Amino acid sequence: MKDYLDTLPKNLIAGFQKYGETKTAMRQKDRGIWRSYTWKRSYIEVRQLCLGLIELGLMHGDKVCIIGDNDPQYFWAQLAVQSAGGVAVGIFTDSTPPEIQYIVRHSDAVFVFAKDQEQCDKLLEIQEEVPNVKQVIYWDEKGLWNYEEPWLMSYQQVQALGQSLDERQPDLFDETINLGHGDDQAIFCYTSGTTGLPKGAMINHNNLIAGCDQTLQVDPRLDNDEYLSFLPPAWITENVLGLTVHLRTGMVVSFPEAPDTVQQNIREITPQAMLFSARLWENMMAMVQVKITETTWLNRMLYKTFMPIGYQVAAQRYEHRKPVGWLWRLLYGLGELVLFHPLRDKFGLTHVKSAYSSGAALNPDVIRFFRAIGVNIKQLYGSTEAQVHTLHVGDDVKFETVGVPAPGQEIMIADNSEILISGATVFQGYYKNPEDTEKALEVDQQGKRWFHTGDAGYIDKDGHLIYLDRVKEMITLSTGEKYSPQYIEGQLKFSPYVQDVMTLGGEDKPFVTALINIDFENVGRWAEKKAIPYTTFVDLSQRREVYDLIRQDVQRVNQTLPSPARVHKFVLLHKAFDADEGELTRTRKLRRSLLYERYEDMIRTMYEGGDSVQVRASVKYRDGREGTVETAVQVATLEMEESE
Amino acid sequence: MTDDSVQLSVQDITLIFGGLHALTDISFEVKQGEILSIIGPNGAGKTSLLNCLNNFYHPDRGRILFNGHNLTRMPPYKIAKLGIARTFQHTALYTGLSTLDNLMAARHIHMRSGLLQCLLYWGPAHQEDIANRKVVEEVIDFLEIEHIRKSIVGTLPHGLRKRVELGRALAMEPQMLLLDEPMTGMNQEEKEDMARFILDIHERQGTTVLLIEHDMGLVMDIADRIVVLDFGSKIAEGTPEEIHQNEAVINAYLGKTGI
Repeated sequence: MKDYLDTLPKNLIAGFQKYGETKTAMRQKDRGIWRSYTWKRSYIEVRQLCLGLIELGLMHGDKVCIIGDNDPQYFWAQLAVQSAGGVAVGIFTDSTPPEIQYIVRHSDAVFVFAKDQEQCDKLLEIQEEVPNVKQVIYWDEKGLWNYEEPWLMSYQQVQALGQSLDERQPDLFDETINLGHGDDQAIFCYTSGTTGLPKGAMINHNNLIAGCDQTLQVDPRLDNDEYLSFLPPAWITENVLGLTVHLRTGMVVSFPEAPDTVQQNIREITPQAMLFSARLWENMMAMVQVKITETTWLNRMLYKTFMPIGYQVAAQRYEHRKPVGWLWRLLYGLGELVLFHPLRDKFGLTHVKSAYSSGAALNPDVIRFFRAIGVNIKQLYGSTEAQVHTLHVGDDVKFETVGVPAPGQEIMIADNSEILISGATVFQGYYKNPEDTEKALEVDQQGKRWFHTGDAGYIDKDGHLIYLDRVKEMITLSTGEKYSPQYIEGQLKFSPYVQDVMTLGGEDKPFVTALINIDFENVGRWAEKKAIPYTTFVDLSQRREVYDLIRQDVQRVNQTLPSPARVHKFVLLHKAFDADEGELTRTRKLRRSLLYERYEDMIRTMYEGGDSVQVRASVKYRDGREGTVETAVQVATLEMEESE
Repeated sequence: MTDDSVQLSVQDITLIFGGLHALTDISFEVKQGEILSIIGPNGAGKTSLLNCLNNFYHPDRGRILFNGHNLTRMPPYKIAKLGIARTFQHTALYTGLSTLDNLMAARHIHMRSGLLQCLLYWGPAHQEDIANRKVVEEVIDFLEIEHIRKSIVGTLPHGLRKRVELGRALAMEPQMLLLDEPMTGMNQEEKEDMARFILDIHERQGTTVLLIEHDMGLVMDIADRIVVLDFGSKIAEGTPEEIHQNEAVINAYLGKTGI
């Protein structure tokens, strides 16, 4: 239907023809007022800028770097470059001059858009090293009034050049756009690369449009939906879920007034779609919990009364998948009025239809919290190279998974547990880097292109993908099977009763075991509720009931794992890991080799099949005295049914 | 007046508190559009001098001319109307009001509407409010304080309050800015931001700046000329390079080893 709209600029023109001056395309808060730009305005900005760049010598296939915050001008610059058949290369605004220099040189950029004085200064610093850059174009003139570098040029100057070219050759713009093709490269995304130099992933127009349409299939957007653009525009996500969705559906894109005002602006715009990192969702929940202790008694009372109802109804609806009774619905409705809606309003979540979390695994407590107040957060897993791999669709949300493959995406798990993706979104390779391209892209016999993510995972019985860790972080057992310490430990620590976990495995061990630290406070409270008597940490940790409690958590995590990667045995340690004794770093990371030595007896007992081990551990008290504790630590063995 | 470009002329100012000579025969001139910095050890009389310019203190002798107007007997609000705005060493904002309201309050001197018109908030009064708000929004944009537009000033950290205070002075659209230690208590990054703002104001609007500051490195970087006070007397005046090499200054202020 829209097949002929195979590039982003062609979609812009279609939008302009459809909406013209009648509809807002973009919006930005300026001097305290939200200012709207119609589709016509967007179109004219892009047209003039594009022709200006052509006048300055931009050729089909040339690269242009853009470094700046989320502004309409950023997207217009990108579309202008693409209209002229060029490739837009985004650079993160916090990049240092040497980083900018690397990307500008490596991408062979002939122009650079740099938002303001800050970015222009960085470029002036490296001017000598980037001789191919003909012109640096800025769009925020603040502080640049007295710069007399001919190398710098304002947005308006370029547009004025474009306007005069337009008068001389009025058909040029349309002709240039019609030369564009879906196979043309649209953007290069330089991945930060934890090791080595950044790699420029080449993404063509087909990739972007496919990625957008796939997501829209499961999560449709309307042309009066609102979206706030605050993810870095140099990032693939903003390009697909922001710009491309905007061009394909007409969704209104608003831009924050300043990077610091994002939270306020979200509240004003109340977008329908939002993507936050897991960390940000966690912070938002923590913020509510802190603020509620400081508010008036009335608010506190409402929170205490209605949150449990919210939790109850959300659990019924999403976890037990049962209809909610009328009484609960009535109570929830009341809560909606006095608590849930006002809370959502604080975060600008009142109109949100799709709330996504990406990055690390999200703590189920956070998901439950937001579900209780009426926001069903879904996980999304993707990469620069293949965009959205998997996501949760509808109400089919499982805490421990990252969802099901997006429509059109095919997922395969390689022998070394690596996740491979094939689909129309798979990128075109790394620019000027055939070596890494060969490692990351594989073409099979049917001609399908597979992207090697470098991530390990597997697909569970419901077709959901479970993400474990990077492949190189996986540990191999003596049986040749692999397991992910990070996944098991992370998932176990989501339990309120588990303070710390160290998993054990390796090439000399046939199965996985774990040393677990109970959370003394929470387990203690649980024991009091259950009327289980205990005296000290040592005593509590060795109670049969506590073992049963933790066993449930271990089983819960085991169920999500294939049999060889499960925890076979665990012990509950008689004492907590202690930074004062050097068992943890000051940032509470495990000192694995030291722990391994210190609990050698226990570990040996688990692998030799003993039931318990007598321990005498030296303990350093905080006042400097040393003492010993002596007790028998039990070994818990889990029954292993065959893997489904 | 000898020179047209002289905007402010301080002539033989003497200020006496009981037996203490806070200022003794201070004379200097500030030219239109320059950044002049007044430095000196603690208690040298820098803030007293600034207070004389505003007429918070009344000098016992001498006179101060601003664009030909004699300020010595003029009440502070009239001095403000002439186009002199200042910030204070210890911020003096309305802590219970928002940033926006603090800045709007500074527009008071430019308001013409009467009480009745303002009450009705109609016609010219409404127009005037919009025009003033526009100026204030320009200042907010300029100083990059959009995110605290609606925040109550009393809840803001020190560095931001200093910026709001500068904003309030700017909202008056002054010809001359008196800045009394605008960077005290700031970290390096905040100081650099503040210095950039001062330079930008100066570049953009050609505003004359009279700056009292302790951070010598900063003063040396941004001032066109420097006046040095010690024990209430002017001991030197000149460009940063000249001051840097001036024996009297090195002995009095910078220490024998210099900076």
